[in-house]
Amino acid sequence: MIEETMTPQERVQAAINLEVPDRTPVLPMQTYYFACRHKGLDGYQMVKERERALQAHLKVYDELGGFDGQVIPGISFIFPQRISGIIAEPLYKVPGVDLPRDSILQHDEREILLPEDYDLIADLGWNAFAEKHYSKFNPRPAWKILEWGERQTARYIDDIRVWNEHGVPVYKGGEVFSPLMFFSMFRTLEQFTFDLYRRPDRVQAAMDALVEDFIQDAIEEVRLTGRTWVMLVLERGGCFYYPVKIFERFEWKYIKKMTEAWVKEGITPLLHLDQDWTLNLPYFRDLPKGCICEFDSCTDIFKAKEILGGKQCIMGDVRASLQTHGTPEEIEDYCTQLIDVVGKGGGFILSSGCFVPVDAKFENVKAMIDYAKTHTPAQ
Amino acid sequence: MSELVDAITNIKEDEVLRIVRHRLEVGEEPIALLEECRDGMAIVGERYRKGEYFLGELIMSGEIFKQAMSLIEPKLTGDVRTETIGKVIMGTVKGDIHSMGKDIVTSLLRMSGFEVFDLGVDVAPEAFVEKVVETGAPILGMSGLITPSFESMKNTVTAIEERGIRDRVKVIIGGGVVIEQVKRYVGADAFTRDGVEGVKMCKEFMREANR
Repeated sequence: MIEETMTPQERVQAAINLEVPDRTPVLPMQTYYFACRHKGLDGYQMVKERERALQAHLKVYDELGGFDGQVIPGISFIFPQRISGIIAEPLYKVPGVDLPRDSILQHDEREILLPEDYDLIADLGWNAFAEKHYSKFNPRPAWKILEWGERQTARYIDDIRVWNEHGVPVYKGGEVFSPLMFFSMFRTLEQFTFDLYRRPDRVQAAMDALVEDFIQDAIEEVRLTGRTWVMLVLERGGCFYYPVKIFERFEWKYIKKMTEAWVKEGITPLLHLDQDWTLNLPYFRDLPKGCICEFDSCTDIFKAKEILGGKQCIMGDVRASLQTHGTPEEIEDYCTQLIDVVGKGGGFILSSGCFVPVDAKFENVKAMIDYAKTHTPAQ
Repeated sequence: MSELVDAITNIKEDEVLRIVRHRLEVGEEPIALLEECRDGMAIVGERYRKGEYFLGELIMSGEIFKQAMSLIEPKLTGDVRTETIGKVIMGTVKGDIHSMGKDIVTSLLRMSGFEVFDLGVDVAPEAFVEKVVETGAPILGMSGLITPSFESMKNTVTAIEERGIRDRVKVIIGGGVVIEQVKRYVGADAFTRDGVEGVKMCKEFMREANR
């Protein structure tokens, strides 16, 4: 064991400040599903039996020997208390209701917005559009949607309380999608891609009109939860999907605007960068100081270190399938590379690539956590 | 490079459709247009392989190809219309409803001349097995984005073995998180995280099957 001279928060903050902490901070992302499965809960129980699931989550955290905090405390959502913020969350299919009982929550990607909605959003802005057209997204009456949103947020805040009482810090206080990610989810990837080629000006006008509302949503969520990280959900704008000229016009411009606005408010933007962003990495050098770039193993994290080292905090990226089908030795080998190379000189948080999968092997997740506590980075 | 091939490779939707309509109107052989469209798509695939094009270009060029085919196909004779280079069964496995990867590969396979039986998402092992038996397809492609899909893939391979047809079908698994260890666990013949590579694998398997 490396002697610890910092609290978990200090350790994580040191990495964000690009300093060298006492040891490598380790923050597995979203351990909820994994913990519940490990304790024998099926997908339906994970969603519907909150108290039992929460107890399982806490218990597995302890059995893993603890780590430097929970980025995400459970599966409840945080919403600004207005309808536009609630319906901006993509729809899900629920295990035991829409999916087999032992499955997990999965996004239900459908064409909810139509091409003409770009013009309406451009004219009205997102909030006013959503107030008027929310039934496109959710057929329930407005008061029911608001009530559900309030309930979710109250649960999220309660999850934070429970973890804090357990002595564990929680970091994420807000979450929004980038405009590109939002439209891609609500138009579908295919239709949205057609839009980028067929009606790019209309897409851009809608994004311009919507981005400020999304920035404010996150600020309000942080105010409600008292946690200072905002997770900016990104996947569909990187070089796996589109050439850099599309990234520049429809993604980067908004990432920059959002992160700059949040950093000014004292918020830590956590860029949840699923899929491959390797060709986009040079742009992230221009993010404001104080962001975290979190990769899921599809981006070359070693290239990210070369390009972003000394500029941005890097987080990641033990691949999901390595956690499910690898061995503790393979996990340790990979973590050695991460800690020695990406962690060199500080500015690195060891984490799962994207989330800890529901069927990860306990010994593999533990190996990742233990390794951060025991492996001294090579000089 | 013809004007049509050039328009396809440069993702010019209106231009492609204008050229196709005009050439059909002046009585050109539809088979020649079909071949040029396929040549254009092959160049798009090659540019993708080299990292010059990205998924967006594949999706958009697939849409352009589909529209061009809707103009060309009614003019083709029966023999040409049904001529394919092989049969492939595709589906996202049980418990997983992500369709994107499966749809992309399905579309790429069709553009390359394969006949694809797309079983959709959340496909049970028995449904895959029945389709293999029914169609005699020598290739089965299973897609999954979430890690629990690996178990479903394995169950499907087991069901194929139990039916006694494992030696008749090559199994390829695909998805953002598949790795060599998963391929071994599932008992698949190949894995890929790249649609264009997946098509290449199918072509190789067809060559082997036809030897």
